[in-house]
Amino acid sequence: MPPSSNLIMPKLGLTMTEGTISEWLLAPGDSFGKGDVVLVVETEKIANEIEAPAEGRLRDILVPAGETVEVGTAIAKWDIGEAAPDIVPAEQAAPATSGDGPEAMEKMPSAVSGAAAISAEEKQPDISGRVIATPLARRIARQNGVELRGLDGSGPKGRIKAADVQAAIAKREEGAILRQDKTGAPAASLSRAPTAYETVAARRLVESKRDIPHFYLSTEVDAGELLALRAELNAEGEMLRISINDLIIAAVARALRDNRRANSVWRENEIIELQAEDIGLAVNTDNGLFAPVLRNLGDAGIASVAKQARSLAEKARDGALSAEDLVGGATTVSNAGMFDVTYMSSIINPGQSSILGVGSIRQAFRPDEEGKPVLKQEMGLVLSCDHRILDGVSALAFLNSIKGYLEKPLRLLVN
Amino acid sequence: MTEVRYAKAVNMALDEALTEDPSVILFGEDVAHAGGPFGVTRGLLDKHGELRVRDTPISEATITGAAVGAAMSGLKPVVEIMFMDFATLAMDAMVNQAAKARFMFGGQCSVPMVLRMPHGGGVNAGPQHSQCLEAWFAHVPGLKVVVPGTPADAYGLLKAAIADPDPVVFVENKAIYSLKGELETGEGEIEIGKARTVRAGRDVTIVSYGAAVRTALAAAEALSDSGIEAEVLDLRTIQPWDEAAVLASLSHTHRLVILHEAVTAFGVGAEIAARMADIGFDELDAPILRVGAPFMPAPFAKSLESQFLPDTEDVITAVKQVLA
Repeated sequence: MPPSSNLIMPKLGLTMTEGTISEWLLAPGDSFGKGDVVLVVETEKIANEIEAPAEGRLRDILVPAGETVEVGTAIAKWDIGEAAPDIVPAEQAAPATSGDGPEAMEKMPSAVSGAAAISAEEKQPDISGRVIATPLARRIARQNGVELRGLDGSGPKGRIKAADVQAAIAKREEGAILRQDKTGAPAASLSRAPTAYETVAARRLVESKRDIPHFYLSTEVDAGELLALRAELNAEGEMLRISINDLIIAAVARALRDNRRANSVWRENEIIELQAEDIGLAVNTDNGLFAPVLRNLGDAGIASVAKQARSLAEKARDGALSAEDLVGGATTVSNAGMFDVTYMSSIINPGQSSILGVGSIRQAFRPDEEGKPVLKQEMGLVLSCDHRILDGVSALAFLNSIKGYLEKPLRLLVN
Repeated sequence: MTEVRYAKAVNMALDEALTEDPSVILFGEDVAHAGGPFGVTRGLLDKHGELRVRDTPISEATITGAAVGAAMSGLKPVVEIMFMDFATLAMDAMVNQAAKARFMFGGQCSVPMVLRMPHGGGVNAGPQHSQCLEAWFAHVPGLKVVVPGTPADAYGLLKAAIADPDPVVFVENKAIYSLKGELETGEGEIEIGKARTVRAGRDVTIVSYGAAVRTALAAAEALSDSGIEAEVLDLRTIQPWDEAAVLASLSHTHRLVILHEAVTAFGVGAEIAARMADIGFDELDAPILRVGAPFMPAPFAKSLESQFLPDTEDVITAVKQVLA
């Protein structure tokens, strides 16, 4: 008889604190083999298939589909064979920070693709136990969308009382942006619960705007040569078409290499200088906005940048991104050029220190040396910066460096 | 507005009923010549005559059986059972006859009688003269059970009980016969089945009835000193009981303590608690607690009886427990 243990919510990424069970693929009593998908966990904007690390049988589902629980919460009981020695609880496999470098990144996949975390019953405190709360507390929580799990109960035996829920609501309202439509009639509005993605995105955006001291620098880039270069590259009829965005990413990568400060991030009172030039790429999909990270771009050629960008964008649109696709890097490129906008001031992705908002290319008359109007193709750039890492001078150096590569793009062809 | 004692308020209601309605008759052990063991029927024999106010042999079965027959043949008997404890001897007439008549005769017959009986301890009367057995009768479909706790309620509810077309068990408390209270003379009936808010409060609801309401009020006053405002509800009637009033109070205090002098187990408090756990579930912010006598016969000795009866301290402890 294989030993019985808890299946716990695995930690699938650095910033993951909770996960939503989107689907159980097995029912209690079902047997499974090694590698069988047991459930799907939605988190960090993606869905992860959690595979069994060994064969066994699912005994009991403790957390039904649709519920969100903290990392480490027991979500099922299973009888599972001797765990393979390489199977470790994901919490241990996940590095403390992404700044741990390549070593950490190597460990990530095992935490992500694999192996759902198991832990011995005696070691794992039973935090799966039902929430003890009064009926009134439950009702108030239900009406206000408050998650009771995790609240501290002030009643006997830690029972959550109405006052505890009200305190949580008050706390939430203090921090939240009140979006009350004071004029709109209630009948004219519809409310619904946010999806798991919307909840995660909202939390991360609020965290970012709250915790990161943003400041913004904007400039215009003369895109004439950039457009000419792209036309020339694509005119040769190569298999791979190069986009303006590919060239921008390459320019940012070169600028990162030249400005080490901009390739640094702030994490828990530590400044971590990243060794590789990794850049996030904002991709709009039907399922929301994602920013998968392109890797090792410091010396990458344009074609290589374009291939990586194409592949990650496709993955994002197919909903096939994994947690490791979304972590790392100090900056992200968010190109809204196709949407007819001059300037876009973006919110920094949590864990990074800047984001470049790219506007549409517009025609404008600019005076030449003699003061005569010259028709230019111009692109507005806004760099949102974390003031803990970058100041006006260092950020401007970074932005001007990007601008320099974009205005003299032939330099991008030299590694 | 005059101040009268509880016993006098009952006497006044009886006197007025005998005066107003010639079909009302009174009988029981020592009710006529002696004026009742607690003096409740004093003076009624002289005023209304021995045809209408009668002493009976010491046989509760006979007394109650006769009352059921009299009620079915057009009179309105008001019977006194000297101690509620002896209702055990009248059970067949009460439960199998009086309570069932309207139902079994298809509504063509009813039993408009009132059985007055004092319950309760505190007078060192021992295990056979101190019991609170009202829950037994509240369990029987066809009986109404009224338990007034003040002179005014005793007066108004007795008039309503006598006017009621069905059998009513009218429970007095021997410990409060001498309790004084304001009474508006000539005041009418008080509707059976309606509770009264005796004290408003926001933190906890204490539901009680009969003499125990005074204990609840004393506890509420004491709790007020420590900033806890208890709402006190006097049910006045336990069958039918005022479910809506209890739910309304619970809905703004969210905590409920039920107090009665009767033994807690399988009592009136159990019924109220169960009902509120059902219809008031989402209002509850703490478990419902009951305060009552322990599961044992009432002791004789004063030192033991004082511990047997639920007191102010017991209520305060329960209130603090639901507020924890």
